[in-house]
Amino acid sequence: MEILEDETRLAVEQALKSGAEYVEARAQRDVGHTLTLNNGVAEPVTTTRRLGVGIRVIVDGSMGFASTNNLESSQIRTSAETAVRIAKAAVRLISAPSKLAPERSWEDKWEARMKIDIQQVSIKEKFDELFSIERALSFDHVKVSLPSRILVLDDELTEKFYRNSEGSKLQGFVPRISLFFILTGEEKGKGTIQRMRHEAQTRGWEAVKEWNASAIATDEAMMLGRMLRDGVHPPRDEIDLVLGSEVTGIICHESCGHPQEADRILGREGAQAGESYVKRDMLGKRIGSEHVTIIDDPTLPDSYGFYQYDDEGVKARPRTLIKDGVISDLLHNRETAAEFGVSSNAAARSVAYDREPLIRMANTYMKPGEYTLDELVEDVKSGVYMKSFMEWNIDDRRYNQRYVGLEAYAIRKGEIGAPVRNPILEVTTPGLYGRVDAVGKLVEYSGATCGKGDPQQGAAVWTGGPPIRIRKIHVGG
Amino acid sequence: MNRILSACKKLGVRSVAVAFTRSRDQMVRFSNNSVTVVNSWQNEVPTVYLASNGKRAACRIEEEEGVEFKSIASELVDSMNVIPQGDVDFDLPRGPFNYEKIDGIYDRRLTEIDTGLVDAAEAAINSARKEGANRVSGVVISGSWEHFVLTSAGAEGSSKGTEIEITVRAFADEDATGQGISIATNLDRFHPDEAGVTAGSIARKARGALAGVPGKYNVVFGPAIFADLVDRVADSASAYTVDLGLSFFQDLLGKRVSSEKFSLCDNGRLPFGPGSISLDDEGFPTGETHLITKGTLEGYLQTSYTAAKHKAQLTGSAQFEGGLAGMVPAPRNLIVEPGEREFDDLLDGAMSGLYITNNWYTRFQNYQTGDFSTICRDGVFEIKDGKLGKPVKGLRVSDNIIRILQSIDALSKKRQWIRWWEVPTPTLTPHVLVRDVGITTASS
Repeated sequence: MEILEDETRLAVEQALKSGAEYVEARAQRDVGHTLTLNNGVAEPVTTTRRLGVGIRVIVDGSMGFASTNNLESSQIRTSAETAVRIAKAAVRLISAPSKLAPERSWEDKWEARMKIDIQQVSIKEKFDELFSIERALSFDHVKVSLPSRILVLDDELTEKFYRNSEGSKLQGFVPRISLFFILTGEEKGKGTIQRMRHEAQTRGWEAVKEWNASAIATDEAMMLGRMLRDGVHPPRDEIDLVLGSEVTGIICHESCGHPQEADRILGREGAQAGESYVKRDMLGKRIGSEHVTIIDDPTLPDSYGFYQYDDEGVKARPRTLIKDGVISDLLHNRETAAEFGVSSNAAARSVAYDREPLIRMANTYMKPGEYTLDELVEDVKSGVYMKSFMEWNIDDRRYNQRYVGLEAYAIRKGEIGAPVRNPILEVTTPGLYGRVDAVGKLVEYSGATCGKGDPQQGAAVWTGGPPIRIRKIHVGG
Repeated sequence: MNRILSACKKLGVRSVAVAFTRSRDQMVRFSNNSVTVVNSWQNEVPTVYLASNGKRAACRIEEEEGVEFKSIASELVDSMNVIPQGDVDFDLPRGPFNYEKIDGIYDRRLTEIDTGLVDAAEAAINSARKEGANRVSGVVISGSWEHFVLTSAGAEGSSKGTEIEITVRAFADEDATGQGISIATNLDRFHPDEAGVTAGSIARKARGALAGVPGKYNVVFGPAIFADLVDRVADSASAYTVDLGLSFFQDLLGKRVSSEKFSLCDNGRLPFGPGSISLDDEGFPTGETHLITKGTLEGYLQTSYTAAKHKAQLTGSAQFEGGLAGMVPAPRNLIVEPGEREFDDLLDGAMSGLYITNNWYTRFQNYQTGDFSTICRDGVFEIKDGKLGKPVKGLRVSDNIIRILQSIDALSKKRQWIRWWEVPTPTLTPHVLVRDVGITTASS
């Protein structure tokens, strides 16, 4: 990527010459492969190669972004000029000029760890991994019919060179690898049931070796069999609910991370991803019980959402979004930080050279407490343990949400019992966080691709947390 | 393109489809009545799709600097060599073909519009505010594209087009929002001010909404929410989705899947169609594919691979997507057959129920059964005694998509083009009355 130092320098110089007050140029190369087994048949190996430069400028309070994958000097200059020209043209319709909060400039090189280089692993070895999972899913082994089995292995190496007109120069490298599968279980007279699971890390091939994906897939398949054969309707009274790590994680992502993105709070995503129930004056307001602390941390080693500097050149750090039930911080880029009179906490991320950086989560999780799963369950008289989910959604203010349990069990007199099918948690954000009365101690993470922006940018994130208990809630299903 | 094709053929690949897209796009995003960012993209992207003996490989190359096509071809062929035998052998469609020009999909003025996008944003903001909105957000985007395809089976052709679209979201109050859309391939058919009027008017009427009540309702779906559902229907009518086991139309070909009042087709050659293009990414001419006719599932969208597998005709629907499958069958312009009713007749037909203008975040509990839910977004109104009543909020459609299709009772005469953040395929749809739709709410 050193070669692109010159291109980014040229972009910054040209944009300044054209009248920009602030410029940043980011060269990014992504090389990735996707391998898919569909019911044991190999789909095409797809390779993606992207390399280009994105240039963002501020002119008279107007922000412009231009990108190109043609790296000839003349084209870089044209793109820089375009960014300035289109920004200038919009000045007349700007009532809230863009400003950036001051930040320290950095010159640094950073990279995520990769013990076994993904690029050195042959396509054959990658397919072998998928075929070994496929073999583990045979009826004889899992005792359930799986008419549809989709196994996807995805890897991507990303190199970035970032430079801005304030003197920052950063070079980063991130390898990401993930295994995603969708299994459909079927039992005569009981219909079908589907499970999606996503293991993902910022690491090399060693991650795949450690996941033991065949065992994970086997467990999930056998679970589908249990749910199909033995699942009954969940209780409909007001009950206690114990949520597994996977469910806690998606809740933290959807109803804490998203509503606390400062750009949504300012209305910047109003026409697409929406706004937020959180308002500017809600910092310090109680939104949940004292047991609820939620953190977003891009610096977690090996995490899928890992980065050391964001795409505005700000050094990454953990952000505590809810502390002891109180809204304590928001996710900021430099623009929203200026608006709120604070410093950026490095939440600006872009997924490709041709996408502007936006405020994004990285790895969002609930801080662990002190309880084992058994202890969470032991004083529940009547309830449901919802370990995983399939369907979920939330309104665009992040207030009204729904999670439909997949692997779920009845709890009777403090013990986990028979499987229950499709329990539905449909609840408001304060209604959910306010009912949390105990938090487990074992944190687990799931990989996810978070969508936001126009055009859409799918960002690599982890969602996670420990099992939690919520009291007295109506469960549908 | 010729270099890539030759490199692959020299390596012994039987079928090669190379496509090249050159595009220029510009976008103005605005919120709180003010522009937030202006984007400009210029891209040149080749894609390569290979097949030999049922084995396939694919590559997308957004990289010009230092790319060695020979080494890319060699890597692709290597990856095919380690794949076990494919499940079906197939060939790309044998050319040459005659690609007829499609009327109205290219407007030179849109290649030079530049600052006109800011004017469009301003027009939408002003008209929405006149209708009663306090704040207006949105996005206006225009672009031009040229697409070239060359295959080893003798297909060679190109197509070019332009597009412009706006999504406007008006806020009259915290919970009172409305959305308007205008989408066109030709500047004369683009009406940002009308999109602003629609968004502002829905937002104004949505003021003072009270919490809705769960239950079964007769629902009049507005074009935006119905387009989202139609997009899911088209996804399920892709032979690829069927093969993945992720379709609610599995094993239903030739069977009744909806009310006989509902017909849906995909038309890749529609004059002035926002998704129209002369040829697909395997070089086959695009055309009209009837997916559902008077309630009966007539066919699936196909590529060469899926058509060989399903023993079906090609539909000109091959699109390079990369990712999981490389080349997939996908719709271009989804067209819902109109009904004979006015909008007011649909309300009258519902008598008591809900009018839902928009939605977002549709998720399935099970793609095979079609159990799903989606969140109502923007104005939702009670229907009482066949007339629009008070606004309501906090509702979710929680139902089964086949059941919804089978419960379609009436469609309006008037249709609207929809494409926006939540609906990727241009969809022309009327308002639609559906009986007994499941509606749920959240516990507080």
